Amino acid sequence: MEKRVTFPFVAIVGQEQMKLALILNIINPTLSGVLIRGEKGTAKSTAVRALAEILPKIDTVKGCLFRLSKKETLETCPECLVAMCPSKTDKGFNPVMEKSDIKVVELPVGATEDRVVGTMDLEHALKKGEKRIEPGILAAAHRGILYVDEVNLLDDHVVDVLLDSAAMGVNTIEREGLSFSHPARFTLVGTMNPEEGELRPQLLDRFGLCVNVEGAHDPEDRVAVMERRAAFDQDPQGFCNSWTGQSKILSQKIETAIKLYPKVTIERSLLFEIASFCLDVGVDGHRGDIVILKTAKTLAAFHGRTEVIKQDIDHAAQLALPHRIRRKPLQEVAGDVKTLREHNRSKKVS
Amino acid sequence: MKFNDVFPFSAIVGQEDLKLTLMLNAVHPGVGGVLIRGEKGTAKSTIVRGLSRLLFPIQVVTECPFSCDPLGHELCDNCKRINGNLQSRSRSQRVVTLPLNATEDRVSGGMDFNRAVKEGKKVLLPGLLAKAHRGILYVDEINLLDDHIVDIILDAASSGQNLIEREGLSFAHPACFILVGTMNPEEGDLRPQLLDRLGLCVEVESEKDPEVRMTLMEQRESFDNDPTAFRELHRADDLKLAQKITDARDLLPRVKVKKEVRLFIAELCSTNNVAGHRADIVLEQAARAHAALEGRTLVGIDDISRVAPFVLLHRKRDAAPPDQPSEPPEPDKNTKNSSKNEEPPSPRNADALNDGSEPDNENSEQELPLPPRSDSSRDQDQENQPQATGDDQDQVFEIGAAFKVKKISSPKDRHIRRGSGKRSRSRVSQKQGRYVKSTMKRVNNDVALDATLRAAAPFQKGRTIPPGLTIALKPQDIREKIREKRMGNFLVFAVDASGSMGARGRMAASKGAILSLLLDAYQKRDRVAMVSFRKTEAFVNLPPTASIELAAHYLKEMPVGGRTPLSAGLDQTHRLVNAALLKDPAIRPIVLVITDGKSNVAMGSKKPVEEALGFASIMGEDDRVKYIFVDTEPQGVVTFGIARQLALAARAEYCKMDDLKAESLMDLVHGAAEHI
Repeated sequence: MEKRVTFPFVAIVGQEQMKLALILNIINPTLSGVLIRGEKGTAKSTAVRALAEILPKIDTVKGCLFRLSKKETLETCPECLVAMCPSKTDKGFNPVMEKSDIKVVELPVGATEDRVVGTMDLEHALKKGEKRIEPGILAAAHRGILYVDEVNLLDDHVVDVLLDSAAMGVNTIEREGLSFSHPARFTLVGTMNPEEGELRPQLLDRFGLCVNVEGAHDPEDRVAVMERRAAFDQDPQGFCNSWTGQSKILSQKIETAIKLYPKVTIERSLLFEIASFCLDVGVDGHRGDIVILKTAKTLAAFHGRTEVIKQDIDHAAQLALPHRIRRKPLQEVAGDVKTLREHNRSKKVS
Repeated sequence: MKFNDVFPFSAIVGQEDLKLTLMLNAVHPGVGGVLIRGEKGTAKSTIVRGLSRLLFPIQVVTECPFSCDPLGHELCDNCKRINGNLQSRSRSQRVVTLPLNATEDRVSGGMDFNRAVKEGKKVLLPGLLAKAHRGILYVDEINLLDDHIVDIILDAASSGQNLIEREGLSFAHPACFILVGTMNPEEGDLRPQLLDRLGLCVEVESEKDPEVRMTLMEQRESFDNDPTAFRELHRADDLKLAQKITDARDLLPRVKVKKEVRLFIAELCSTNNVAGHRADIVLEQAARAHAALEGRTLVGIDDISRVAPFVLLHRKRDAAPPDQPSEPPEPDKNTKNSSKNEEPPSPRNADALNDGSEPDNENSEQELPLPPRSDSSRDQDQENQPQATGDDQDQVFEIGAAFKVKKISSPKDRHIRRGSGKRSRSRVSQKQGRYVKSTMKRVNNDVALDATLRAAAPFQKGRTIPPGLTIALKPQDIREKIREKRMGNFLVFAVDASGSMGARGRMAASKGAILSLLLDAYQKRDRVAMVSFRKTEAFVNLPPTASIELAAHYLKEMPVGGRTPLSAGLDQTHRLVNAALLKDPAIRPIVLVITDGKSNVAMGSKKPVEEALGFASIMGEDDRVKYIFVDTEPQGVVTFGIARQLALAARAEYCKMDDLKAESLMDLVHGAAEHI
């Protein structure tokens, strides 16, 4: 089957913050995803779909609907109720591994809870008398990327389930006589248009990073967008080929960063900087601190360093704090964190 | 938890209060559970999960899915039937998390259809309450739980027994568990009954000291990098804590409470005006557990002082009487001042005569004369500083204080809707909510097993049964569930922004009322729209949106001034509501018209108020829309009561602005209403 050609990630004009946030999440999946706020027509979906092309491949059990890694099979497979698993034999259990792409799974707006979480095939059960699970979207997204468009328009229950699984890394199904858990660790990327309504504060807090996107202001950039899109539409394969070099460089950079990340260190004084940043700006809880720390280290790794510097922290704060800043339910989400911090500090002094 | 590593309880930085309350419960389940209120990101879930590693093992009857205590008095129906000695084994206590997507049959238990279909037997498949018996039931965001699930948990918590009477099953089993719930107060409050059921309540906040925050970050990083090593590092501390709990539990039966101490407890509770006696009981038990933890057998005042805050936080009430509603005015003062040039002495002299020209109208016809222009500019408001914008004497008032609003909801009907929220009950198309009936219509595979089996039962004789099963089911037997739950509505605000509203804090109070309604709408997940009318026409300030923030923004900026084109306002609202109904015929709009009713601009040739009344009666004929008229006309000797007439014409509900407050006397007696 011929694969559909996607617009190359590196060919997207501008939107540097959004692209960076996505890349950081690939390097360090514990960053808990990205929330992209902004207008339509700003390459959000394009970027996420294009991302899959530059991601490294992973090992999965062949044919496994839950996309398990070898380690995870030990815990899940004995209780798994999917009848069609090819690895299950009468004699025991010998999973065959294969390399597959990291999937980008899209969650449609009208998704209902049972499609997301997974459900039991009741008709089959009633007819044959055996339980069979239909894995949901969370199973398919495990170890991949879950892309949720218009996350603020989803039913509350669905968003709750998504964020709970994203935080805990497990999806527990307790419904309709079915009781089953399976691993569900994915990078959650959500988009929203703020004019349609905000997410609840707890849900906002669960998103690791947050970026605001707008259309390009510079006419040169806008022209570049049009030119590249036209070129792509005219000759998709050729266009992609012309960008292969750059894509490879980016992939390499990501792989190097992944290897470098465990070695990154941070001075204690910079930890103090993070803590005081969060206190000055006013965030609820400690998730902000932790995410800034991880983001700063990931940034350092991305730039090829093993030592975190102050700029990393400022940059990380801008990515990790805007949606966490304490506000009443009817206030607006913050813009620039640094100025807010200065403002608060000067208020305290005066 | 199988797949993720549990962060060690003893390694958690800070949150000493929370750790203490959980440990008290681990020592003595009679304390009654914990409600954890507070900010997000404060390790609430992490701590509760860490607790599971510290709990001591219990004896359970082997093979009993309900974890019956072999030495206990209460057994499930199955164990009761076994005469003679029950076999037992030891296992650790469990922390059962109530997942957000749990359905009712999984919480309380439902029919095991595997066995129903294969063996033809009606057997109970135990639910989460059975699993949680003699363990901990952890409910995240307990204030967002669906009402019917809360009811099930409440019932079990209060009676200590889970009674299952559904789907053709009748079964009882003991269900004593420690209920631990978390909540964020901004999202709405817990029902008072549930609040009282929870023994202790802790407020959690984040640490303010940078040093502590740094330690926290370092800990988290080192845990994420190598969970196993991190856990090893803290294993000794965890074991010490576990031992402390076990020792305390063993000591507990010997812990005594002297009479003086009991007196102290009683005084403490009555000073705080708690409702009922549960507080006293919980306080005593918690103090005993605390003494046991410290290794003492006598409860002292220190124990009481340490645990009292947790017991009283969610139970104490102020005994002070409620705020007095606007006092009736002194009639003599005002009837004499027919043309008021000075500022009114105080806002409490609430009467309708702000414009000064009205006393002359007592005997005139319905129609009000146009108030002299100059009066609107003289509407000085003592409480607020209006910012006059432009030279047409527009004023923008600050928003007054917000308060908790009373219940407003739509009546039930048969429509099937989608959505979430907390306002009105509706039949839903999703697989959530309480199962109320079954239907033959096939829509979404939400199979009602009991009804299906019942439908198939009469035909079994004539059918061949497939091998391995005992029941032959055909597609026409399948029945689906009709569910019902609460959902959000569509709230439309029609706001009178004319000059007459600007007097004496009425606009500020109206804005305060609207803000409270918006906050309520935020919690109930309603959509909102806003229409305002002033001068000569009505404006749609905010088309229907789910963004409560935008609504609050427009509310703040709304200018006041000019005449009252009430009929234009009603007309515009009517059109907006109809457009919304065209788009989605199943929504149930609730329209709040906030005005004093004194219309003085007509769209046509009729007199303004007459025209408005005519519009109101036309609007009232549409059953799909619920109208509520909020009268902002203050109490006074002379009141025009036009808003009431409008409400009558529109067959709408009527209330005065003050009545929106949930804080009527009745409510105050039953619970504490909080000011938002």
